Amino acid sequence: MNTEEILTIAEQVVSAWDWTSESVRTRPNQLDVKVTSLAELHPAVVGLRVKRLGFLSAIVGLDLGPEANEMEVLYYFCPGDAAIVLRVRVPRQGATLPSLSDVIPSAEVFERELSEMFGIQITGLRNPQRLYLPDDWPDDTYPLRKDFDPSVLLAAAPAAENTPSERN
Amino acid sequence: MSTLSALFAISIFPGGLFLLSSGLLYEWGNRKLLALLQNRVGPRWFQPLADTIKLLAKEEVIPTGTNKFLFIGLPMVALAGGLTAALYVPLAGLAPSASFDGDLIMVFYLLSLLTLCMGLAGTNTVSRFSLIGATRTLTQVFSYEAPFLLALLGVAAAAGSWQISNITAYSGQHWLILTQPLGFLVALIGLMGKLEMPPFDAPEAHTEIVAGALTEYSGRGLAFFHLGKAIELVIGLTLIAAFFLGGLSNPLWFLIKTLALLFIMVVLQALLARLRIDQTVGLWWRYGVLLVLVQWLLMVLL
Amino acid sequence: MPDTAASKRFTVPIGPQHPALKEPGHFEFTVDGEIVTNAYVRLGYAHRGIEKAAESRNWVQNLYLLERVCGICSHIHGFAYSLAVERLANIEAPPRAQAIRVIVAELERIHSHLLWMGVSAHEAGFDTLFMYSWRDRETIMDVLEGLTGNRVNYSANVLGGVKFDVTPTQADIIRKGLTFLEERTKHYLDVIMHDTMFLQRTRGIGVMTRSQAEVMGALGPTARASNVQRDLRVEAPYAAYKDFPVQMVLDTRGDLEARFEVRINELFESYRLINQILDNLPEGELNVRVPRRIPAGEMIVRLEAPRGEVFYFIKSNGTDKLERLKVRTPTICNMTSVVRLSVGHQLADVPMILAGIDPCFSCNDRTVQIRQADGGAQPNGLSSLMSWEELRQYAIRKYEAR
Repeated sequence: MNTEEILTIAEQVVSAWDWTSESVRTRPNQLDVKVTSLAELHPAVVGLRVKRLGFLSAIVGLDLGPEANEMEVLYYFCPGDAAIVLRVRVPRQGATLPSLSDVIPSAEVFERELSEMFGIQITGLRNPQRLYLPDDWPDDTYPLRKDFDPSVLLAAAPAAENTPSERN
Repeated sequence: MSTLSALFAISIFPGGLFLLSSGLLYEWGNRKLLALLQNRVGPRWFQPLADTIKLLAKEEVIPTGTNKFLFIGLPMVALAGGLTAALYVPLAGLAPSASFDGDLIMVFYLLSLLTLCMGLAGTNTVSRFSLIGATRTLTQVFSYEAPFLLALLGVAAAAGSWQISNITAYSGQHWLILTQPLGFLVALIGLMGKLEMPPFDAPEAHTEIVAGALTEYSGRGLAFFHLGKAIELVIGLTLIAAFFLGGLSNPLWFLIKTLALLFIMVVLQALLARLRIDQTVGLWWRYGVLLVLVQWLLMVLL
Repeated sequence: MPDTAASKRFTVPIGPQHPALKEPGHFEFTVDGEIVTNAYVRLGYAHRGIEKAAESRNWVQNLYLLERVCGICSHIHGFAYSLAVERLANIEAPPRAQAIRVIVAELERIHSHLLWMGVSAHEAGFDTLFMYSWRDRETIMDVLEGLTGNRVNYSANVLGGVKFDVTPTQADIIRKGLTFLEERTKHYLDVIMHDTMFLQRTRGIGVMTRSQAEVMGALGPTARASNVQRDLRVEAPYAAYKDFPVQMVLDTRGDLEARFEVRINELFESYRLINQILDNLPEGELNVRVPRRIPAGEMIVRLEAPRGEVFYFIKSNGTDKLERLKVRTPTICNMTSVVRLSVGHQLADVPMILAGIDPCFSCNDRTVQIRQADGGAQPNGLSSLMSWEELRQYAIRKYEAR
């Protein structure tokens, strides 16, 4: 399959849900799909997976800032040279996304990262524990959000431990 | 044997000081040769001694959940076993300082004591690495011990005696490696298994289970176990050299023959990748035992 | 032994500090005797918050930050970032720069694969191969040092090109190094394919079928050993790979042996490619100017690192800083396969399976948690927490007081 064929198939797959999504070729090798209804995300991914285009390269979270009060989640499917991007918009408070890990096992780690870094709840995760952040990381603190303030960590840091400093 | 000469035999030669120092030097020889084969510089000659002194000077941490008595006692028993065994073998080519009919079996038992103690020491702690290591150590004992014993008994049968001094005297006239090559092979590789050298180092495979049965040991206990192993190396080499390589008539021959054996062992260590424990057991029971049995069959037929 | 439920589950912790792992990661393997029945992974011990830190630095500073995502494949991160920024700014680095970037990338691949071979041999208890492959790896480290001035973190890239040229003398040094390594690699291939004892530890261990590899999203040599055709240098050639094509190395067996063979055969491909580029090095400039502000937009760049595909996502907002950076390194994708594959294997095979994907936790984890360990004040008058500027001043003072 060359890039053109991949993108055509992908367009066909996502056009099955075109009453809720729109797809644009932003670059010769990239197909941008705006998924406007969360319910369509999972079926669209199943569709891509069935057509062997289900290589999930990464899930990127974007905080559009407190003014927009929205976050965007980008699912990058990258078979070969092509890139198929599923864009989902979620509110900054109480956002929930369905897990794709039942279709694509490797999605689990990306989703766990997304969940701890942006505070988007992922439903249906086998293991919803933290992946990267420490166990004593303060709750409701999401480091990759734009309004994250590192001084929260100082306040939350445990009291002095008597470990001698190595620095001199 | 007068009290004085007994004291000398135990504390200076062949037990005690001589054995400990030669154990450390042979350990150095092992490490240095291995390093040279692996294109490394290797330790300086006093490194094993320095390691031992360092360990002896260090605090001995006794982990919670262990039987303190066993934790401290086992390394001592292990070391004592090795030191006692030395009294019955022709170290440095000289006659053993003690001897009785059937001492071969006792030496063999004393040499296994170290491994047994290590296994027990591992099961005594609650560390998961130790437990797995102990299981592997004891599993390995059951795999190599029988072929190893059979290989040595082949020599005893040829000599018609169970006494080490008699066997040595017999093998002094016969190079048994020529008549019992298979037995020699099994005995040498069995010794490597006993000492948990690569490729039989699954019980202490540090990429899986850190240090195996001895993970929780530090300070004195660890030093004793290490010394015990170093001693076992010397005794094992002495026994095999005396049994298969035409006896040990004088210290020079002792040195040449044991070093030659050590070199073979080092080459094998450098050449082979570690065996999994199931592969170790498989190797011994499939091939080791078979080789020894073929050897025995040949002895009976010829 | 405690209660029955707990005693039935015997878990072996591997990491964060463990001899099998040269970097921190935490695995828990539930074992039944020697057989692994369940596996669990916890990451983040080397998480340094690079993605967040990048948002507060300017475009040029980020280049140096991102080279430190990984100590082994540092160049590929700088390469991916520069490429992404250049594409956003709609400029292209000169052909000579592209070629030099590829040379360094391939040298890095050789260094990484040789390092990996040593580590995996060590996991298998085959220390001789470990020592020899690391000795030979020094050749490539020397070449890289001669070329870039550094053994690791080469800093070869600048935005818009590369920092240094490859002179004919250097080219000869590289060729000489590669000739030596090619001979050595042939020997290693022979060892790995024919050493019976070593084959016992690799053949048929950790088998991943093609469909498993595809579903689990395996990448790089791990995927190629399972016959998944996934190599961006071939699928989506970038930089000088367009002019100097590479052959994809595939294997159908999917076990550890195949992963060894694929990586070693890739070494030959790298030697050939570097020699080819050195013989046909395009003439011209080394870099072009890149504006201080990068036009707004989103860009992804995917490059083939030694361990597989790295994914860079950059969103620019038109200022001198970036809006969002996402780095996805190959290890995280391959980690799923370790967790799944280790189940049913012997405990002794687990370090091998883990090493088989060539894990790099430093790449994998990228938030620093600041702990005020000593309540603030230090005897030497320094605060235990330093701002960037304080640290810089401290470093300057310390340097001057040498």
